Amino acid sequence: MRYKPLLRIQKITLPLVLLVLLMSGCASTTQVVILPDPDGKVGALEVSNVKGTQTLNQAWQATESASVDRAPSAPKILEEKQVRQVFREALEAAPIPPVSFIIYFKKDSSALSPESLALLTKVIDAVQARKSTDIIISGYTDAVGPVDYDRRLSLQRAKAVADILVAKGVDRQNIQVTYHGKSNPLVPTRDGVPEPRNRRVEITVR
Amino acid sequence: MAAAAEQRAGFVKNVSGEAFIERNKVITAAKVKGELMENDVLVTGRSGSMGVILQDNSVMSIGSNTRIAISKFVFEPADEKLSFTAQIKKGTVVYLTGLIAKLNHSGVKFDTPTAVCGVRGTHFAIKVEDPFH
Repeated sequence: MRYKPLLRIQKITLPLVLLVLLMSGCASTTQVVILPDPDGKVGALEVSNVKGTQTLNQAWQATESASVDRAPSAPKILEEKQVRQVFREALEAAPIPPVSFIIYFKKDSSALSPESLALLTKVIDAVQARKSTDIIISGYTDAVGPVDYDRRLSLQRAKAVADILVAKGVDRQNIQVTYHGKSNPLVPTRDGVPEPRNRRVEITVR
Repeated sequence: MAAAAEQRAGFVKNVSGEAFIERNKVITAAKVKGELMENDVLVTGRSGSMGVILQDNSVMSIGSNTRIAISKFVFEPADEKLSFTAQIKKGTVVYLTGLIAKLNHSGVKFDTPTAVCGVRGTHFAIKVEDPFH
């Protein structure tokens, strides 16, 4: 008595499962299109399966791979309009790429120059354009001075930048402040060597 | 110890319509600012779309009826550990590379049921037809 319904379920399920495997095995055509970068340049990518490889390196160039039994198709340049139509939803959902800024400081100082203050208005623009809730501010020093002193100075620099952004209306909760002292220099030097390019705060707006 | 190895992969930047994150087989609605971890699956329904920013500052967005897993995400530039693999089951995906592709030329890979895309750079779109539609 108890086996009968079970058997019935099996009878129904088995062909269904087979069907699923067959369908997913043969109908998932992949189309890959290379798009120009935001700055207009075009990169490169390779589309391959066990049967072969195609390289895409021109704007709007595309290849299709319909099955693992066949190599991806020869690259073909599609019309931009057509690509924008097929990928409209994903393109519309694409976030603005993150952007980074660097602010430099004088020796032993965490004061911002007039040029740096001007640059911060660009940072504010970037925050607003992205409705950014993820702003990373990292302070650094050059290799002059004791480790403790440099760590403190790098934190002061990062905080000085954060305070100005907050004063200009950025929510402090969206800011992450980190400090590195003399670690992670832009331009590696021996200890004790002054290097203006390392006395900096990096701001990343995501 | 396996759990400790799981890495933050990024965060959700924007969401529209039916958009979900599947983590350890549990599905939750995708939320702006929500964290993304290695092994998460991004899922959209008939009307959904979603944009995400990954830790290496690469940018990815998906259209409706899409399913894509972040099957591998390692971003440790100091140790030169840089790799990102996504698996697209179905749908549309647009990706703009970030630091991983820049620092490791074979570091970014998109797998689909019928192909592998090795990405040197920089901006591209992939569509995988849903076999059930």
